[in-house]
Amino acid sequence: MRQFLSFIWLSLLSFLVIPSSASSAVDYHEQLNLRPLPLSALLASFNFRSNTTLSEFEKGNFRFFPRSLGQILQHAGTRELHLRFSLGRWDSETWGARPWDGAREGGTGVELWAWLETETDEEADRKWLTLTNALSGLFCASLNFIDGTRTTRPVMSFQPEGDHSTDNNMHLLYGVLPHEVVCTENLTPFLKLLPCKGKAGIATLLDGHKLFDASWQSMAIDIRPICPESGECVLQIEQTIDMVLDIDRSKRPRGNPIPRSPPGDQLPCDTSKPYNSHDTCFPVDHTPQEWTLSQIFGKTVKGTCPLADPAIPPVCLQVPHSRSVYVSKDVYEKKNSDDASRCFHISPDTELEMMLPRPDDGASSTTTTDLATPETPLLYAERSFTGHGQERGGVQTILRNPSPDTEVEFIYMESLPWFMRIFLHTMETRIAGQPHANKSLVQQVYYRPALDRARGTQLEVRMRVPPASTVFLTYDFEKSILRYTEYPPDANRGFDVAAAVITILDPPPKDGRFAAYTLRTTSLLCSLPTPDFSMPYNVIIFTSTAIALAFGGLFNIVVRRFVAADEAQATGLGVVLARLKSRLVSAVKG
Amino acid sequence: MGNPFSIAMSIQQPPDNGAGHFKSPAVSSDPVTSNTNTNTKDGAQPKKEPPPEKPSDIRRRSYIILSFWLIVVLLGLPIWWKTTTIYRADLPLQEMLDWSDGKACRPVFPLRISIQANALQEQEAQNLLRLTQHALDDLNDFSGHHLRLQLAPPSAPEQHDRESVLTIRLVPGDATTAKFDPHEPILDITYPSNAIPSPTSSSSPLATYVASQLRSTFAEEQATISYLLSTNSIPSDHRPQGLSSDISDSLSKRTTRSLKYAPTYHLTFSLFTSGPLPSSWDIDGAIGEYMKPVLDVLSPIHNFTIDTQVQLYATPGVQNQVLNKEDLSSFINAAEWPLSPSIGGAPTVNFIVFVGDQTIAAPAQSAGEDGEPGPSSHSWMMPQWGTVYLLPLPNDTSHLSAEALKQPLLTFTSHLLSLTGTPQSGSLPLRLSTLSRIRSADLLLRASSTLGSLARLALALPSISIPPRVADGVSKTMHHLRLACETLGGPEGLAHARIAEAEAERAFFEKSMVGQLYFPDEHKIAVYLPLLGPVAVPLVMGLLNELKTWLKRRKEAGKVGREKKKE
Repeated sequence: MRQFLSFIWLSLLSFLVIPSSASSAVDYHEQLNLRPLPLSALLASFNFRSNTTLSEFEKGNFRFFPRSLGQILQHAGTRELHLRFSLGRWDSETWGARPWDGAREGGTGVELWAWLETETDEEADRKWLTLTNALSGLFCASLNFIDGTRTTRPVMSFQPEGDHSTDNNMHLLYGVLPHEVVCTENLTPFLKLLPCKGKAGIATLLDGHKLFDASWQSMAIDIRPICPESGECVLQIEQTIDMVLDIDRSKRPRGNPIPRSPPGDQLPCDTSKPYNSHDTCFPVDHTPQEWTLSQIFGKTVKGTCPLADPAIPPVCLQVPHSRSVYVSKDVYEKKNSDDASRCFHISPDTELEMMLPRPDDGASSTTTTDLATPETPLLYAERSFTGHGQERGGVQTILRNPSPDTEVEFIYMESLPWFMRIFLHTMETRIAGQPHANKSLVQQVYYRPALDRARGTQLEVRMRVPPASTVFLTYDFEKSILRYTEYPPDANRGFDVAAAVITILDPPPKDGRFAAYTLRTTSLLCSLPTPDFSMPYNVIIFTSTAIALAFGGLFNIVVRRFVAADEAQATGLGVVLARLKSRLVSAVKG
Repeated sequence: MGNPFSIAMSIQQPPDNGAGHFKSPAVSSDPVTSNTNTNTKDGAQPKKEPPPEKPSDIRRRSYIILSFWLIVVLLGLPIWWKTTTIYRADLPLQEMLDWSDGKACRPVFPLRISIQANALQEQEAQNLLRLTQHALDDLNDFSGHHLRLQLAPPSAPEQHDRESVLTIRLVPGDATTAKFDPHEPILDITYPSNAIPSPTSSSSPLATYVASQLRSTFAEEQATISYLLSTNSIPSDHRPQGLSSDISDSLSKRTTRSLKYAPTYHLTFSLFTSGPLPSSWDIDGAIGEYMKPVLDVLSPIHNFTIDTQVQLYATPGVQNQVLNKEDLSSFINAAEWPLSPSIGGAPTVNFIVFVGDQTIAAPAQSAGEDGEPGPSSHSWMMPQWGTVYLLPLPNDTSHLSAEALKQPLLTFTSHLLSLTGTPQSGSLPLRLSTLSRIRSADLLLRASSTLGSLARLALALPSISIPPRVADGVSKTMHHLRLACETLGGPEGLAHARIAEAEAERAFFEKSMVGQLYFPDEHKIAVYLPLLGPVAVPLVMGLLNELKTWLKRRKEAGKVGREKKKE
């Protein structure tokens, strides 16, 4: 079964990849892949790819390649660039392996890594600053906050995807903003980079309301030079949007978005339960149900982008051939030979509407026949905080290798903020079920300690997980206290810690495009000791009062005359009262 | 505190007590003691007096209070004020205002014009030169712009030398004619042989002719520079008179149209179509053919970088079939069209070819110019921004050839010249050298007025902070302004004026000047009041007590003196 599935993937990938690398005559491709996932989720992968020859790029003649981005690349000396905007969590337990082998996704927030061609490290830092500031303006994101403390230079984790000449002095810089909230204002500039601007072709489906309502979404921009063996080098920009939509949620009308349970007689019941009868019902959570493109995305595909390669079908759907799919007229369906996917050719001016009816009632109990079974990922990873209190804490990552016979070797990379001071000596790995730490799992550690307010911690660990086992990677850290002005306005929310990047080396050969399978953990929220922010004013008042008290006492002691108690003149309240009394008396008399 | 008061009380008390004896039993014991002891108010026993204080103690206390006050006033308050005050670097305010008022520099453009008259005798040539100079001085009414003639040594090669602005080549011929060399700033003047003035004559038609030629050549430059001076706050005595209002109108239109000076301009050529076609164009070839020659000529003054883009499915901001004058400004759909300025320092000039069959409603003045809707009605210029050209094409055109782009590019080229502020008349080399002089005057005036604004800002807002970087920028600006003023008209003048302008802008737009602006002195007092208040109370009370006892002592001393006198 596994071989069969990987064959599906292989054929699919080769279908996607090979035409582009083989011919650069047609410079623009776009394709939408729809894959229903278990529990009525739907993965929609949009892929747009365009090329420009390097000579045209250097001359500044932009046709499909966006000029705004091209100028930034030229100005910042960037040879390869990867930018990610992500939201949500990929549920790999249910949804299986990640799309694109995880190569087109990022951790929550914004992630950016690029190879800059410069002579020195300092120049690379300067250009990196230029790059982040320019991209920040282009994508309406806070990328300009990627400063020295959020920038690392990964040593083992990332490998360039493009073809670079070996003598270039390339610097890899990686910056991440886990706190950034990805939203519609990032999608609009993303669409503007497309040659057809979201006005024709599959990009017409992209709509901020639906995209950011998804359970998981990732927008990616990848720019890399590709040098075919014969012919001129090209610069390729690939824009990818992956989203997992909840079909139930998407089908709710926009005017009435509150979920309501159906009436009792329409409730789908789990008939396998022993107590199921005409008046007892255990409702089934996610029944396979019919959906149409316009229900899911709110609109239909408007024709094709006339610039796109007509040979590549714009829309593909991955369901077994046994299921029937209804499409609007003038749409030509082509079933692929792998029995698990089909593609649709659209003529330039027709609208594509697609309907996937409910599978036949007989098959509804077994989901294997109406969905392509998700592929098992190579590794499962979860990360969480341990410990308690405001002073110290720990991080625990649980890495599970589902494969019964293959060992997984990977690089685990953390880029932590400087205010999490990790104790490297506490880092240990332990196989679940064994009482003691197992030192042999870690093969190599690259550690660059943090400098306060200057740079963050960079930790890269090359390690392995034996077959069918679970490994705990733990380490402790100390939370430092920030300065008053370093706290953000919502300091009590906590501080986001970027996702850990796991790069699996030498994944089982699938001869796809990607040299490595990457996955990311979720980001964490670290709560630091937060002061009361009225503190400075309290301190001012308190010290002022103390100084004034001390000064008043001292001054009085020095200046006053000391006499015996019975010699003293009456002062204070008594004098005032007596005076009042005498006034009163005289007033009464007068 | 209680002492003088109780004395006053006790003086008042006897009659009161006598009168109120029966009504107030609480003070019934008073009459017994009040007659005997005037210094006590209540208490049955006689009040014990503290022993009289030694005069040395009293003096010491005065010294203590005095020294506390001295420390607080002379040391404490100045330190507090100094440490909490906003840093303001010293700016040479008066000098800065002088620059902006035009008192520090009087822009003078000495233009040297050399005359090559190899066919003439030395003596004759000198005479002709003297006469021409005389005629020129008579014509000129603007002292800032001065043409000075000099005779080129006859041995010099027959070409333009770099020191002078213009070379006049006098060649004998049949009639008096003048012709500009198209590539070099050389004016060829031919003259009939009988036009040479005799050494004794006081006027000559040839000299007058040369002078009037020169005058008309430089008229536009003169007008522009005097317009620039008049729009800045240069005192009127430096200003030339007699700028007619229509000339100054056209000049003001031209100066608002032209871009701010920059050494490099970035040209962006964009092809916008409302549909999917055409998606490619031969812009590279078209630029090379139609625009490159002009860019090459401009290259001594400006560098140009070029990029091009194709944008499909672009909807203009105005959908009307016929565009009125009001529509033109909103035609550019700034929200959707990717026309972001280039990064880096260079300003961007946008040239847009929009494929569509929209037409421009012929405005009155352009119809007056050429009578029929000519090529000008396809395009319009946006001041300081660029040009839009509407290109109607058949619907199925998928590729724009270089020939189809000829008309748009020629329009762009002529618009580029006016966007860079090049004068409209004269031969091209002369126009360019004029451009550099106009630019340096413009930059000089701009930098001066920025300095003036900064000085006025510093004077107007006493609570604004002035970091040392601003003072540094100001001193650099003034240094370069001085250098620019000395070398005005030459290439160094332009370079210095450029640096001065950049430094002045940097100083004026210093970021940290704004941050402190909203922290006024009242806030400072509010923050420190908890300290100052409680400290001030004992100090003030101590001083008041001391003053009171001192007054009392003086009074008593006076009384004792008077009593002694009586005795």
